[in-house]
Amino acid sequence: MSWRIGVDIGGTFIDFCAMETGTNRFETIKVLTTPNEPGKELLDGLSLLQERHGVAPEEVISFVHGTTVGINTIIQRKGSRLALITTAGFEDVIELARLRMPEMYSLFCARPEQLIPRDLIHGVRQRQLANGAIAEELDREALADVIATIRSKGVDGVVISFLHAYRNPAHEAQAKALIAELAPELFVFTSSEVWPVIREYERSTTAILNGYVHPRVAGYLGALEAALASRGVPAGPMLTKSNGGLMTAETGKRACVNMLLSGTASGVIGAAYLAEQAGIANVLTLDIGGTSADLALIIDGKPQFGTGETVGDFPLFVPSVSVTSIGSGGGSIAWADAFGVLKVGPESAGSTPGPACYGRGGTRATVTDAMATCGFLGHTPIAYDQIGMRRDRAEAVIGELAGLLGLASQATAEAIIAVAVSEMFVEVNKLVARYGVDLREFTLMPFGGAGPMLGCFLARELGIPHVMVPQRPGVVSALGGLIADVKGDFIQTIFAPSAAESLPRLREALLRLKADGSAWIRDEQGFTGQVIETLSADMRYHGQSFEIEVPLAEPWLAEGDIAAINAAFHRQHLAIYDFNDEAGEVQIVNLRLVVSGTTERPGLTPVPETAAGAAVPERLIPVWLDGANQEVALYHRNALRHGHDFSGPAIVAQDDTTICIPAGFEAHVDGWLNLHLTLRTEA
Amino acid sequence: MVDKVTLQVLANHCRAAAENMAYTLYRTAHSTFVKETEDFTVMVMDRTGRVVAVPMDLGATWYPGMNYNRAIDLVDEYRPGDIAFTNDPYSGYLATHAPDTHLWKPIFHEGEIVCFVGGHVHNTDMGGAVPASLSRSLTEIHQEGIRFPPMTLMRDGVFDEKVLRIMMMNVRKPDLNMGDLKALAGALNTGERKIQAMIAKFGAKGFMEGLDGLMDYAEHQAREILRSIPDGEYFFSDYADEDSVDGNPCRLALTLTIKGDEAVLDFTGSDPQLGSSLNVPTGSDPRHTLLLVGVYYVLYTLNPQLLLNSGLTRPFTCIAPEGTVLNPSFPAAVGMRSLTCGRVRSLIFGAFSLAIPERMPAAPAGSSSIVNVMTTDEKTHRSIIAAINPVVGGGGGMPHRDGPNGSGADAAYLKNTPIEITETEVPIQFVRYGLLPDSGGAGRWRGGLATVMEFKVFAPNTRITARNRDRSIFRPWGTLGGLSAEPSNFIINPGAANERVLGNTDIAVTEPGDIIHIHSPGGGGRGSPLEREPERVLLDVARGYVSVAAAKDRYGVVIRDGAVDAEATAARRAEMKQNAHGGHFHFGPERDAFESVWHARNYAALTRLLAALPVHWRFFTKTKIFAAMREAGPQADVTSAFGSVRRDYPQVPEIALAAE
Repeated sequence: MSWRIGVDIGGTFIDFCAMETGTNRFETIKVLTTPNEPGKELLDGLSLLQERHGVAPEEVISFVHGTTVGINTIIQRKGSRLALITTAGFEDVIELARLRMPEMYSLFCARPEQLIPRDLIHGVRQRQLANGAIAEELDREALADVIATIRSKGVDGVVISFLHAYRNPAHEAQAKALIAELAPELFVFTSSEVWPVIREYERSTTAILNGYVHPRVAGYLGALEAALASRGVPAGPMLTKSNGGLMTAETGKRACVNMLLSGTASGVIGAAYLAEQAGIANVLTLDIGGTSADLALIIDGKPQFGTGETVGDFPLFVPSVSVTSIGSGGGSIAWADAFGVLKVGPESAGSTPGPACYGRGGTRATVTDAMATCGFLGHTPIAYDQIGMRRDRAEAVIGELAGLLGLASQATAEAIIAVAVSEMFVEVNKLVARYGVDLREFTLMPFGGAGPMLGCFLARELGIPHVMVPQRPGVVSALGGLIADVKGDFIQTIFAPSAAESLPRLREALLRLKADGSAWIRDEQGFTGQVIETLSADMRYHGQSFEIEVPLAEPWLAEGDIAAINAAFHRQHLAIYDFNDEAGEVQIVNLRLVVSGTTERPGLTPVPETAAGAAVPERLIPVWLDGANQEVALYHRNALRHGHDFSGPAIVAQDDTTICIPAGFEAHVDGWLNLHLTLRTEA
Repeated sequence: MVDKVTLQVLANHCRAAAENMAYTLYRTAHSTFVKETEDFTVMVMDRTGRVVAVPMDLGATWYPGMNYNRAIDLVDEYRPGDIAFTNDPYSGYLATHAPDTHLWKPIFHEGEIVCFVGGHVHNTDMGGAVPASLSRSLTEIHQEGIRFPPMTLMRDGVFDEKVLRIMMMNVRKPDLNMGDLKALAGALNTGERKIQAMIAKFGAKGFMEGLDGLMDYAEHQAREILRSIPDGEYFFSDYADEDSVDGNPCRLALTLTIKGDEAVLDFTGSDPQLGSSLNVPTGSDPRHTLLLVGVYYVLYTLNPQLLLNSGLTRPFTCIAPEGTVLNPSFPAAVGMRSLTCGRVRSLIFGAFSLAIPERMPAAPAGSSSIVNVMTTDEKTHRSIIAAINPVVGGGGGMPHRDGPNGSGADAAYLKNTPIEITETEVPIQFVRYGLLPDSGGAGRWRGGLATVMEFKVFAPNTRITARNRDRSIFRPWGTLGGLSAEPSNFIINPGAANERVLGNTDIAVTEPGDIIHIHSPGGGGRGSPLEREPERVLLDVARGYVSVAAAKDRYGVVIRDGAVDAEATAARRAEMKQNAHGGHFHFGPERDAFESVWHARNYAALTRLLAALPVHWRFFTKTKIFAAMREAGPQADVTSAFGSVRRDYPQVPEIALAAE
């Protein structure tokens, strides 16, 4: 008997899911995080898994986890003290960034404080050109002086980023060697080794983020390995990556920038898996926690990938699952302005003190308090009884706000929910327009602690006809890690016409990408199973300033079939932008290779249909819904069986969340115990 | 079902419609003007054409207070499926230069128009005398491209092919125009779907009443802000360096009167309309959006919760006399009005700085050069035209922090292009791209630094154009004891024997091996630099933002061996305090020298004289008076200068001057 364990570490809770190989037995638990004793919660969880479900540590053959330690290091600005060495004359590249700032209507708009202050940025004379030719040799003497200066200022590490190093990394390598010689105590990352892509700001930022979180992430992963070893877990821990894949914790200690969206990305992977199981192709995922909501699209069964997601105040340019994060969650605070208009957010009560109804010191009205006041919450223990529900406190803070607005408490609570939902409505609309999709063909999949509370309200607002709530909405991310593939991204900038003259370079680049990919997955990750290589190119029309990723077939390069490559680009351009120009000159900016080693998916079998027809509610409870006091059916999720049906309005309570179902939705439980909620269309 | 408490729900739905339109346009447009510069807008309007909602993520910042009403009325009939358009700056005063093409679409419900959706794109070219249709040197609107008065562009969902053929025949990049027009029309159709969904949700009546509610809400917010500003008259003037190629300064003047929750912006005293394309067409509209852009910034800065729609313009009344630079008469050229609009914004920032000094920043850099290179690729011998980075300056010192470096305030929407991309595509080599030390105005809170860009060219006859160049002479001002920033400049081969200092020149032909240097102005400083903590000055020096010499000269902070010499600093600061200037503004030596001749009395006389002349005489007479004044020296007087002009040109019409 052996177990595979997936773990997702969030701000308030850690979710565990454990799967027994062979039997496919599936168990989940949730424990509170212990911010002051990192690692303890993990051991707590392992103990609990053993006590409750008989998971013996020595039987754990795979341990995959997602963690926010990287992103929190950035948000809390607790990373390492770094120096940056650039080409002389270009020391301000990271401060200028791409110029455009957020809050463009404000005279007080400002940039975030940089991770490396300007006094720790030093230019050194050297120069490569766009074609990789050396225009000026590296000034080693000047570099030695800079190293001495940096050392005297006391830094932990150094990032080196020279212009056009994606094309010719020689000077970066020489500089790194010199630092190793003169200042061996400093860790060094070069821009060309972290992510060798054209665009100096983007490449530098990527290397800086990597260096900034490196010591903490490496330290954390080391402690994790030790903790697991101390319990006798034989598996080497794996880490979920921003690209939705996995890497070993050992790799993660250096390739830190690849794990910044660790848990978020695996949520989407988990959701895609659950959707596929249920036979659903197009999904909008909605993961709502205490402080934020993450939105992502799954189109034709595929999570969308991109670059330019934001971590903390900084854009992230390594391939990542596209997730839109908005500062709106269960803890968002409701308030009234001087005109008497109700607002929700952007302030949040977060996980501490949290909503008033959690009784942990919160004193201001939050979205969760509004849900409690309407009577949706508190009918079963919350979060496996680790949080007590104080509805009286919710009513007190909502009542205060209601007094200001001159409304009844419950009407105020309902208005708060409506405003909160409309804030998300704006963000979903932007996402939908960016991808040019029609939401009527989509299913909303809410998960996370607060997703199922708000999911139906948002679906109704968006005109999404179908909502699917997974059986265990709290552990979708942990599940995502459990089923994710080992996956690495490799890139080489080409920046040449998509024409026969470029074929030798493309073929050479492909050989190198394949060699690098194979070394990574076989030697570094130790993966022995079947490896899938996926080739693509970032392409554009001459004169455009952005690229689109086009999947390529390897034989096109081998056979020199440029026509096929360009046709694929024209098609993709039409699909994304609604137009193309088949006579236009096409460029290949980057060649990309993704290598992935498939993880065995749990072959879950649906449970047989044991219940036909109407589910029997546990009891009727009074709630305020759609402007009136109603007696609404309360169901417990554990009691819902395959084949059960019921109609909204209803409340479904479960250990890790509560599902609110307004009138107009028909509920059905499928063979995987997903709850499908379909909006009745008025004939 | 729209009540005040849940007004935010409707506001969010309207904004969602606007954001949706913006992303659709951005995704499907063809030209770099839309894709890179984001020179486009979209909006939801009420049934009379007043803007109710705009996007906050994408596009330009100029039109949340726009009113389409005058242009809408110039089209006879609207049917479902219609889209109307115009790009004529003088019909309805919607398009404010010919490249801007505005489209609008009526949204019907049960046969009645319930609202409009609309927007604009800046077309790469609309024909006319010069590529891109824009040049300072143009003198009348007819040179600035083909113009379409407000008319139907699409009927029953089908483009009017005749209109399109006329347009495409007259422009230089028909494919780009066509692509962008289609993208905008597509965005309006997206908007229509969103509006219909709102009508289904809120009901037609509820939706229309809700739109009124949103405008009332913005109006209320604006009035609330105005009430927090002391009543009074606040006069400010600012200058564009040149009113035409190598011309005289162009003065803009504003008397801001705040009374209770209302404000009057009287631009009387601004220069007469110009014989260049720097005029700003506003059609005597008391709430024209181009006059109020600075106001949007001020209001939003004072209340970031502000709902941006035309309701917020209601408490404001603008007065811009006809025949002046801010209200030119047909057929004055208007193509480069964006340069002047930059000065209108600094004019408004200055007037509000007088009204609420404690809440306003110093002047932002206020001039962003848009740099293009036309050169030849030595490998392919192909001619290449490429946009290089905009050269943007920092924000002004704020009440509680330094201005951001290299961008900020009303230039924060601009983007740059990676050096590595430019060097791969264009045969030039960058030597430097970064911040210019000592360029930010010194102050308790320092102004943001200027950007400097230097690159080398290789082919003969390489042409460099730099549009919107200004602030090479008159500096971004400092406030409350803060100093003005360093001005901008454009130099070929700086420091070499063959150096050419080009100032505001916007086009230069260069030789192989030339180094092109352009730097923006910096942002003005706020508060006395003598009050800036020495440690902060030391940090600025360590970061290379301020030199050791400037630390001593401007901040009175003496730094020796990387540390503050406290004793020497105290002495230096005590000495400097004696001579510290005391005015609200610090303008710098250039403006002080200019205004020692062109003081308020002379400008008052000039304004009165020129206002009395027929419009076509004004710019000519202004130019001649300036020449006469220069000849007359420091004691020059406008009335006698006018006398000498009259002697030289007896044709100048007799005028009856109103009593002083």
